[in-house]
Amino acid sequence: MKLHHAVFAAALAAGLTAGLATPAFSQQNTLVIAMTATPKGFDPDIWVPGQIESTVNVYEGLTRFGMGGGDGGRSLDFRKLEPHFAEKWTVSPDGKTYTFKLRKGVKSPFGNELSAADVVWTYEKSVWQKRTGLFMKNVDRVEKVEAVSKDEVRITLSEPNRIFLSSLTLHIPTLFDSTEAKKHATADDPYATKWLAANTAGYGPYHVQSVQAGQQAVFVVNPNYVFDKPFYSRVIWREVPSAATRVALVRTGQVQYAEQIPLQQIKELKADKTVKVESIAAPGAATVRMNPKFPPFDKQKVRQAVAYATDYKAIGEAVFLGLGTRARSMLNPPIPGAIEAYHYETDYAKAKQLLAEAGLPNGFETTLEYSTNWWWEEPLALQMQASLAKAGIKVTPKRISSTEMNARRAINSWSIPFLTHLTSGFVPDPSYTMFLTAHCKGGSNVNANCDPKLDKLIDESVGERDDAKWLKIVADAQKEQADYATFVETFLPGTHEVFAACMQGYLWRPHNRLMWKELVCRK
Amino acid sequence: MLIARFLALRLAVAVPVVLGIVFLTFMLIRIGHQDPVAMLAGPLADASTYAMIRKELDLDRPLLQQFVTYCAHLLHGDLGRSWQGGAPVLQEIIAHYPITLELVVLAVGLASLIGIPVGIRAAMRPNGRFDQVTRFGALTAFSIPTYWMGLMAILVFFYFLRWAPPPMGRVSLEVIPPPVVTGSVLIDSLISANWAAARSAAAQLVLPVGCFMLLAMAPIIKQTRAIAIEVFGSDYMRFARASGFSRRTLRRMALRNSLPPVLTFLGTELTSLLAAASLIEYIFSWGGLGQWGLNAILQGDFAVVQGYVLTLALSAVIVFLVVDLAVLLLEPRSHRRA
Repeated sequence: MKLHHAVFAAALAAGLTAGLATPAFSQQNTLVIAMTATPKGFDPDIWVPGQIESTVNVYEGLTRFGMGGGDGGRSLDFRKLEPHFAEKWTVSPDGKTYTFKLRKGVKSPFGNELSAADVVWTYEKSVWQKRTGLFMKNVDRVEKVEAVSKDEVRITLSEPNRIFLSSLTLHIPTLFDSTEAKKHATADDPYATKWLAANTAGYGPYHVQSVQAGQQAVFVVNPNYVFDKPFYSRVIWREVPSAATRVALVRTGQVQYAEQIPLQQIKELKADKTVKVESIAAPGAATVRMNPKFPPFDKQKVRQAVAYATDYKAIGEAVFLGLGTRARSMLNPPIPGAIEAYHYETDYAKAKQLLAEAGLPNGFETTLEYSTNWWWEEPLALQMQASLAKAGIKVTPKRISSTEMNARRAINSWSIPFLTHLTSGFVPDPSYTMFLTAHCKGGSNVNANCDPKLDKLIDESVGERDDAKWLKIVADAQKEQADYATFVETFLPGTHEVFAACMQGYLWRPHNRLMWKELVCRK
Repeated sequence: MLIARFLALRLAVAVPVVLGIVFLTFMLIRIGHQDPVAMLAGPLADASTYAMIRKELDLDRPLLQQFVTYCAHLLHGDLGRSWQGGAPVLQEIIAHYPITLELVVLAVGLASLIGIPVGIRAAMRPNGRFDQVTRFGALTAFSIPTYWMGLMAILVFFYFLRWAPPPMGRVSLEVIPPPVVTGSVLIDSLISANWAAARSAAAQLVLPVGCFMLLAMAPIIKQTRAIAIEVFGSDYMRFARASGFSRRTLRRMALRNSLPPVLTFLGTELTSLLAAASLIEYIFSWGGLGQWGLNAILQGDFAVVQGYVLTLALSAVIVFLVVDLAVLLLEPRSHRRA
């Protein structure tokens, strides 16, 4: 082959590229989203990548949050609970028994109508599987679930619990179409978990049509969905692992939504008219946690010294690029009852004084462990190193794998003295969030945060039914945690969702995942 | 007979190599810091859930016992199931492998078609202008990181010029993909006479294959040039030149005599590119074996990682076997060596 033949072939290939380029995908009523990976499963009880992002659009609960929050009433009010798949409910005088009347006409794509038997089956499945659903059942303090009639279900709690109705807004424990699921049950798998991992059987707006692992998943609208039909009747979920490629795709209008875009690019995208960035200071705060099981963090004054020796301004600028919101409590807006309890500002003199009072006038050395669970962990760790050095605290940042971090920070381990972590919860309830993250028995307590005074306040808040008293307890708990000072509250990195410019209808929800049924493209 | 003996010998050598790779992969991934149990259990799990998942995944037994069980399953063709999706690993390999193979074979094929003649031409006059330009070009292409090259290609040809289709898989959303026969969308579209899909598949291939081709071409040019310089300096080539053969004939003779070592090098190149495909696949959302393996490594899906590495190892064994056979046919003298 002569060289000029090769050159000609290359030129021809380049020409072909030009001729074969396709225009933006424009099939109406199809939503194309660029996601990091195709869903690995659809059973809400089993956490695998992509599961929550998909199942919040497939499974819905008995209750929902009403509209009317901040932003001129265009956001959700997390204190307003409304019936969703339940039509109404009654509560016994002792606050322990809830009887739900189910809404008529709630049907799955298979044509089966929601019944009390489905609710009972859902809880039975979660108990059998012993995973996330069981955890939520325990958080809710659910003792018994029984069908009163075909469309009435009674749920009895072991004690009154403010969290219960809020947690029923979630996709877990969810409402399965048990009639369909049972068809796929076997003797070894009585709750059809294998089938439910690969298929969906919910009463929500969408259900999965096909999945090609590593490439795409297609969801179609549930034709029997009981509420307004969504604008998009089909959702194509494309796996686009590279963030840079996702940005290019949303900028050119090839996709209508791109997930997990790094903050550096968010800043640039906010000025780009071809895309729309929706930002909210939620769901959680980037914190640095101290484990009081390990000296010198067992001393309250040392922990307070670390809080004073933190350069918040530098963190806001260098780590969060001016896009974050300063965290002022272990509870973050929009959680009801959040107050500005975290009073620490950068004060190196005060930090040194506290260290001297704690018997460490020359500071101390420690290792700050971080992983890649959240993008900001490494820059925050490096900023903490620079900042704490000014108070004589020598920090060595150490990167560990996410899996190691998850294992060592777990409640049954608690083996990391100093670590980075995001405070957040699925239910925007102060008692739930405080219990989960700061109670000695909390599932997301990653730093052995065991303050008996705080635990008592949290326990009281969970059962308190008088709103005024409850808010007072919640405020006291936040102040107590700020004084206990095991969390260095830095910033709320925020949620920044990137859409094509025409997209409207985005509504932030506590699970922090996109609800496709609310999205509309208006050009 | 000689070829049969040769094959038997090669396969006999390959068995311990593959076994060693299986053992090393199995052990290394387990003694690392990744804990899939923590990842699967989620942050809300308690100790009993951890224990339950550990048992489900067979991670509660001593490592050697786990390895023996794994090998016993391997002998029955059972590579296990993905811990995160539950799909059988073998089924996933069968689905993903042709996707990567299409990319790599096209890239290496095109790179060879261009790189070998260019390398021989450059070797005809070492340090001449053509040689210098070629060496500079090859060095530049080789120095550019694959990841960056992919991103730049997307930026220029898709984002700015809008020539290339969106880097979002192997076929446009607007066409109906062909039924899977070989796993290559291009070939399957041609088989089923689905011209729209074939056109789309060809367009989707241009950028990733182009980037991969550049990456593959640089070492091919360099290696071919070095081999051809040696061939041109040999006695028989000097004799041919002195006998007044045309430049074209000389080039053909050089190509014929350079082919055995170049083919061996191409085998190495093909196997190393199979492993390197993950980055290009990642950038172009290709969805092949590389992307699948990379995800599994990041997510601690041990069964998939083992299957991925085993596939690469077996591919290397097969490629080298085929190359050695080809060299045997091209170079009769090597029969004696075999």
